[in-house]
Amino acid sequence: MTTADSQDIEQATATLAYFTAILSDHTRMLTRISQERIWAASGQAALESARILVVSSSATSTSILKNLVLPGIGHFSILDSAITTPADAGNNFFLNARESIGKPRAQEAVPLLRELNESVQGEAVLKDVKDLLGTEQGKDWLTGFSIVIAHNLDKPTLEELSALLWSNPEGPPLVTVRSAGFLAEFHIQYHEHCVSESHSENAPSLRITRPFPALLEWARSLDLNALDPTEHGHIPFVVILVRQVDEWRKSHGGELPKTLAEKKEFKKGILALKVKADEENFDEAEAQAWRVWSEPAIPSDIQALFSLSALQSASAQPRQGTFHALLHTLVEFTKDPAGSGTLPLSSNLPDMKSDTESYVRLQNLYRQWADVEKSKFKELFEAKHPEAAASVDPEEVDSFVKNSHHLRVLRGKRWGTFDADREALGNALASTPREAATHLALTALTNLLAQDTDASKVTDEALKGEVISLVGPGVELPEELDAAIGEIARAPTADIPNMAAFLGGLVAQEAIKMITEQYVPLNGYCVVDLVDSWTGVVG
Amino acid sequence: MAAAVAINGNASSGDWEGRYYHVDQILDRPGPRTDPSFLAGDEVKDFLRNKCKILVIGAGGLGCEILANLALSGFKDIHVIDMDTIDISNLNRQFLFRQKDVGHSKANVAAEFIMNRVPGVKVTPYFGKIQDKDEDYYLQFNLVICGLDSVEARRWINATLVNMVDPENPESLKPLIDGGTEGFKGQARVILPTVTSCYECSLDMLNKPTAFPICTIANTPRLPEHCIEWASVLEWPRVHGDKKMDTDNPEHIQWLYQIALHRAQEFKIEGVTYSLTQGVVKNIIPAIASTNAIIAASCCNEAFKIATSSAAYLNNYFMLIGTDGVYSYTFEHEKRDDCPVCGGESLDITLSKDWTVERLIEILVERQDIQVKKPSLSSPGKQIYFQAPPQLEEATRPNLEKKVSELVADGGEITVTATTLPFNLSLRVKYT
Repeated sequence: MTTADSQDIEQATATLAYFTAILSDHTRMLTRISQERIWAASGQAALESARILVVSSSATSTSILKNLVLPGIGHFSILDSAITTPADAGNNFFLNARESIGKPRAQEAVPLLRELNESVQGEAVLKDVKDLLGTEQGKDWLTGFSIVIAHNLDKPTLEELSALLWSNPEGPPLVTVRSAGFLAEFHIQYHEHCVSESHSENAPSLRITRPFPALLEWARSLDLNALDPTEHGHIPFVVILVRQVDEWRKSHGGELPKTLAEKKEFKKGILALKVKADEENFDEAEAQAWRVWSEPAIPSDIQALFSLSALQSASAQPRQGTFHALLHTLVEFTKDPAGSGTLPLSSNLPDMKSDTESYVRLQNLYRQWADVEKSKFKELFEAKHPEAAASVDPEEVDSFVKNSHHLRVLRGKRWGTFDADREALGNALASTPREAATHLALTALTNLLAQDTDASKVTDEALKGEVISLVGPGVELPEELDAAIGEIARAPTADIPNMAAFLGGLVAQEAIKMITEQYVPLNGYCVVDLVDSWTGVVG
Repeated sequence: MAAAVAINGNASSGDWEGRYYHVDQILDRPGPRTDPSFLAGDEVKDFLRNKCKILVIGAGGLGCEILANLALSGFKDIHVIDMDTIDISNLNRQFLFRQKDVGHSKANVAAEFIMNRVPGVKVTPYFGKIQDKDEDYYLQFNLVICGLDSVEARRWINATLVNMVDPENPESLKPLIDGGTEGFKGQARVILPTVTSCYECSLDMLNKPTAFPICTIANTPRLPEHCIEWASVLEWPRVHGDKKMDTDNPEHIQWLYQIALHRAQEFKIEGVTYSLTQGVVKNIIPAIASTNAIIAASCCNEAFKIATSSAAYLNNYFMLIGTDGVYSYTFEHEKRDDCPVCGGESLDITLSKDWTVERLIEILVERQDIQVKKPSLSSPGKQIYFQAPPQLEEATRPNLEKKVSELVADGGEITVTATTLPFNLSLRVKYT
């Protein structure tokens, strides 16, 4: 081969690599469009920097991982010392069927998962989690992930793992998954989880009864009689309502409609303004009149967060710390005597019957005033929390203010806490019998298998005995318990493909919510019954 | 392809000792809620693995998941129909496809992948439309599972399976399991044609209006979507005449985007982007892998329960909302007596005496429980308005401005037809 040839080859290789890179970027961009409509670029970035540990490579485990690899997590590790059995080769899509039998299960699964998305890194760690829990180095490794997921792990090991991850407030959340045949459950262990972007579909307040100056000015300046019929039929309902509230207050000593009769009268007053029967904007104003009496200055859910006691461990977590500083600023904002006593205005205006000009004008008014209030919020934040304000990503503040009507703070529990609380179990059995019964049957299974790994000893009687020892004597057991227990005794060690796939979707979805800090994740145990096709939450 | 079939074609050849260890725990004995007709053990396994023939419609986001689940559950004679080819944007959830498969048939690639990964399973693909197949074809299956993103295709298969039911022949009743997802939400349902509520019965449950009122689009746009609809519904036919818009052609999308953007600027509306344009005109529903996995698993679980009687199947609707915690709702959706497909009674519609035919058409287009795009109307022995052919359209066009009450008597019937409607809808008109 001549030098020229080799140069050509080198050049060709470089060109090929270049085009492959472009093509791969292009693919990535295109495939992200769809999911970014759901969790935005910020959520995608969080996913791409996430490191995930899955303990075991069972069918359920690989199903969960599949749904995390596809949308593009950064890295995954499978921790599993098991050797592929004929049963594994039969129920796990991410093994090479018969060819994988006798080979390390995790090692067989990793390449088949990685080929789903070339931008995701993955590794098989062929060790037993018990051994890692026994060394400091192993413990450090286990706590170094964004989230840890464990399927059908034995009870003593799970207790150790959950204690380790709970002891460190900065440690990863732990998702524990348990399944047997048609029944399953999973739990997410975390101290606290704060969400700005909950993607709530409830519309934020339009501030009809507490209008900002420019909105009130517009409403007051309207001369309904002077408008031509087209303009009249296109006044946005928001402006109509603000105007009517203003008028009402003038004639009712500053009060809003309170009694049913007053509310009816108020609505009638709106319809009486129509000059033509088919003016849909006035119909819309009447339909939206509930906002006049049902929109509190601060929604009760948010008010509840204001009195939330500080979580000791929360301050140790920088992200939660920022969130709490912002939440504290929000309390101050609502107390500001110069303000309207409300949350910052949202610029998110729903569509309404109107012409383009009026709608765009209204949209701009909302946007401008939302900016004014956001600036005020930022000033307060800088004054009250200078350190947090100096280090925070400005986008986080923007997102917090924008979503202030829909903030969520979840306080989680350690795995197993529920099972140690007889009063809580008794209450759950009474209020949500099928969820509680199914959960107890699964806990009973875990306990029995911890005493003896021989699954043939998992009988109806043994399970029932275990449940009774959990809830204590004298607790009335619902008939749902026998249904759940019988189903567990039927298939105590079955990881059936449809349940594995079902859990694969559910658990991945909750993991995505935890990682992206968007939407609202599960708090407690999610119980699944694929006999009667339902899911529920308990504990 | 042919070689793969030859190797994997023999249904029992792929099995090994212990292969079905997990599923067999379910099939070897009944649970407390299992129907007494369950034939535990060899008989049910023989039916599932050697006799049952199942059809999967759609090899996309749901279809890929469905095929994998069925194969692992022990179904060995699976057929799959899909008319689409693989697009680069599918790869983040349609997990049987790789970069090298882009441009190839979804049905063919998916079938081959499953047969390679799960030995002994025969997957027979058909790269084409469901409408290409006749009743004889659909009669050969025990079950049909739909994983489609198209309302139109679902309406067609639903109407076809309902019409196929012959009371004299129980075999003609094919359970239809339908799944659908959007973002973190989804639903799975079991339809027993003519027995339970059908797809058409619940059309009004689809939460998104597929059409904006024409007057908003034409006169008072407020949202970026209104501008995009203006470009695609009104401007495209005005400028391009009969030339068909191809939503897969980037040049066409680019044209629509420019027109919509221009209109948005004119009206000072923000938010028109290329990807939104594509999303609106292709009616792209944002889909993610995890929701597809849940819904596909639910569909396959129902198929497995129906095929084996190992547990009662869903009666008849499972709805999942995963945005705020995990919320799901299992309920029985009721049959509609005036369902145009399975109800047998005509749909009552109340109109003002003054309303024109044009107004009636607008109302029909906007109604969630009808969902029709370009309806043609007739009454017994009379053509009211026809969208095509052009001569007939021209001949009936003057009727658009006439009042409906001049053409149809109170209590009279109007038949609605449309290319997107797999049946004739009959309306009974009442005037106020």
